[in-house]
Amino acid sequence: MAHEHSHAGHDHAPGAAHGHAHDHSHDHTPKGLVRWLFSTNHKDIGTLYLIFAICAGIFGGALSGLMRAELAHPGIQILTAFVASGSEAEAENFYNVLITYHGLIMIFFMVMPALIGGFGNWFVPIMIGAPDMAFPRMNNISFWLYVAAGILATMSMFAPGYGQYLGFAGGWVLYPPLSSNTGHPGPAMDLLILSLHLAGASSILGAINFITTIFNMRAPGMTLHKMPLFAWSVLVTAFLLVLSLPVLAGAITMLLTDRNFNTAFFNPADGGDPLLFQHLFWFFGHPEVYILILPGFGVISHIVSTFSKKPIFGYLGMAYAMVAIGFVGFIVWAHHMYTVGLTVNMKAYFIAATMVIAVPTGIKIFSWIATMWGGSIEFRTPMIWAIGFIFLFTVGGVTGVVLANAGVDHFLHDTYYVVAHFHYTMSLGAVWSIFAAWYYWFPKMTGKMYRESLGNLHFLFMFVGVNLVFFPQHFLGLQGMPRRYIDYPEAYAHWNLISTYGYYVMLAGMGVFVIKLIDAFFIYNKKAPANPWGEGATTLEWTLPSPPPFHQFNELPRFDKGDAHAFH
Amino acid sequence: MTKLIAGFAAAIAAHGVAAAQTEYSPVDGEIGMLPAASKLAEEVHFFHNIILMPIISIVSLVVLALLLYVMARYNSKANPTPRKFSHNTLVEIIWTGIPILILLAIALPSFDLLYKEDVIPDGKQIVADADGSTTVFTVDNDFPASRMAAADRHVQVFLGNASGAAGLTPGKDYTLDGLGSPKIAIEMKEPPKAGDRLVIRLGRSLVGAGADKEIALAPSMTLKAIGFQWGWTYSYPDFGDFEFSANMLPKEKTTPELYRFEVDNRVVVPVGETIRVVTTARDVIHAWALPNMAIKVDAVPGRLNETWFKADKEGVYYGQCSEICGVRHSAMPIAVEVVSRPAFEAWVNAKRVEAGMEPMFGAVASLDDQSRVAAVSDGAASQ
Repeated sequence: MAHEHSHAGHDHAPGAAHGHAHDHSHDHTPKGLVRWLFSTNHKDIGTLYLIFAICAGIFGGALSGLMRAELAHPGIQILTAFVASGSEAEAENFYNVLITYHGLIMIFFMVMPALIGGFGNWFVPIMIGAPDMAFPRMNNISFWLYVAAGILATMSMFAPGYGQYLGFAGGWVLYPPLSSNTGHPGPAMDLLILSLHLAGASSILGAINFITTIFNMRAPGMTLHKMPLFAWSVLVTAFLLVLSLPVLAGAITMLLTDRNFNTAFFNPADGGDPLLFQHLFWFFGHPEVYILILPGFGVISHIVSTFSKKPIFGYLGMAYAMVAIGFVGFIVWAHHMYTVGLTVNMKAYFIAATMVIAVPTGIKIFSWIATMWGGSIEFRTPMIWAIGFIFLFTVGGVTGVVLANAGVDHFLHDTYYVVAHFHYTMSLGAVWSIFAAWYYWFPKMTGKMYRESLGNLHFLFMFVGVNLVFFPQHFLGLQGMPRRYIDYPEAYAHWNLISTYGYYVMLAGMGVFVIKLIDAFFIYNKKAPANPWGEGATTLEWTLPSPPPFHQFNELPRFDKGDAHAFH
Repeated sequence: MTKLIAGFAAAIAAHGVAAAQTEYSPVDGEIGMLPAASKLAEEVHFFHNIILMPIISIVSLVVLALLLYVMARYNSKANPTPRKFSHNTLVEIIWTGIPILILLAIALPSFDLLYKEDVIPDGKQIVADADGSTTVFTVDNDFPASRMAAADRHVQVFLGNASGAAGLTPGKDYTLDGLGSPKIAIEMKEPPKAGDRLVIRLGRSLVGAGADKEIALAPSMTLKAIGFQWGWTYSYPDFGDFEFSANMLPKEKTTPELYRFEVDNRVVVPVGETIRVVTTARDVIHAWALPNMAIKVDAVPGRLNETWFKADKEGVYYGQCSEICGVRHSAMPIAVEVVSRPAFEAWVNAKRVEAGMEPMFGAVASLDDQSRVAAVSDGAASQ
């Protein structure tokens, strides 16, 4: 019933049958600068976020390219050409700048804007049957604060940090005293703090917007327990953002006053404690990694269900597994700090709490497989990415279980094993889900199909490349190679070279991605139907035309009459 | 090249020891853990290689196998009509319950290992000369209540004689009386022969993998490591607190294998003795790491952190600063040279003289029973 109803919406809402609706959407769609600068439309803002994330991703990816090129062989060869003085010392500083901004950009300016700002803005309102976000103007300021934050972060890269050397070079975790006047007296760090303040404010506003939208604007009859899992994932993520970002804001504000007004929150010489910052940072930082991955979980659920032509297995378990991950994510932060000198009982607690997270994560992995079980699986491009995600995230997850054990972490902490672990969960997890979502919703967002052979080729290059980059890093870590090193003893040369080759394969994959984009818009140029994925695609966005009208659901879809169908 | 060799030779000569052993160094292309050089590290290896690795490999392979199976069995060609089920309570209980059991199986040894690593051992060793007739040996169980020897595994008895040392088995070779009380009586089934030596260890830090475990003894010395941008300052508070800095050797003064590992002044510690390491830092946070011993501890300004290790074999062990600390983070390695007790004492004497103090040890190294701990694990025959 509800299904039919919304199909009716698809047939009529944007089209000629409702002449009024047509006029409305046609005549009042703003054009040019007004449309994009002052946009209050969730889809336009989502598009802006996605463009922003792509730009940031290219920049952050280029930084990692410099890192991998430098690490291809022992010695310092490449980066000396990129620094003013050409000295090895400045190159070493520049390497540390690269790792710092690569991390910050990929986390704050690529994954978060893509999954939450981009796909979240685009599809949460549509999936819950809402015409737009609850606070459209706040949505606009959220995005432009992000742009300002991105500009400040970029400026910080080119401002003096340590002596005459440019940029903050202390890692994305910003630990004082390296980030205080002791380590980086220059303005680079202050600019970075301000950048994170703005990015944080933007995310908090965005999160409030999502929570309000999801709580108040679901279509009649769509209870929380009928809500699509992507909306669930963004809801949980939004709560994590609202609860964790203020803690980061507090910590970096204290750092700012330490740096500029002689407070001593983190200065041991005046009674402060550098570890206080670490506790505050990771109280934010650990939920942050779930902020990055949870929306990906939501996306993967939809893709797996769509292309298996089966409802998601264990819907409630899936939803509450995300709630559980979000909750437990707040009480495991010090597993990032096993070597800082915590008491042994505290470490024991954090081991236990950290391991608990493996249970809901396992539920999700197995439920995805159970969704495929008995299905009729179509190996379309998004599905291939989703299956790749399930396996790669499992690999990243199990190494997390290894690292959760403080007794082993004392060996592996700050080695390449950790780098491999978090890239399997983030780069091969969160980024994988972004590409899966991209291929899943690209026809919907742009109204154009793409050549799936190119999408599959992109997958192939990326899968081979990224595994070549990161799997050998486990070996380097087990052999004791510390992370954040510009140069290394000869005995780490082999796997570093393989890892760098992997980067080039991945780069070729990104080349295919760009070709796929150009091809889809200018060569292939095939119009997308409302639902290109068939009977398995049951959520509301597939009832709208591709691309959806500027304003959708002038008449709300209803789920409260007759056979109330759950869209998940 | 000649210069390089000369530089390297000079660096070695400065310490008066053989070239750095490489059997504990990383090997290019290797995929496993760096070799373990202590009982505790062996236990870490056991936990990682025998417990964790199989579990995570099996879990990953099971997920992979399930994915491949559903892809083969339930693709649209093989299964054109999808089924519509979306719940199965039993299956959901199983895949919640089994991971919990697996995690418990990991957590229990994990806690055990953690406490061994983080609680500085306080074991003690008593050496008793046998007279051929005595069968009962009484030792003081003078630990705080929570650390008292209270179980068979808290007591180890070795019998040393000219043909070597042998670990004795409780129940078979001896019985214990008074576990958990201030005095413990070790009753031998047969009186040890005159001239044999009974080596008794008490303590709760039983470290090692498999059958080859030993009770770790209380530290015989403290090594203080102070990180700075970019190097380490070491001091030896038990030996007059002399102090020296260790800086990375430049490329031309070492080999490609040891570049970024080797330093101008290595830390020297005695073999077979528990070393307490205390770290702090002068400027920013650094981390003192010795992967062969499976230890890593941050050096935080304003704080003292401690850890411990006991090297089983003489040799040189390398680590690298493991907390980003600025420009030359990759240029402040850690090199620890483990030498025999006499060589260590000679080195301490030389360092003290350098610092304007009197030598501390006589020409013949004086060995009291507490400091002879080393020999036991390598076999008491040498005594």
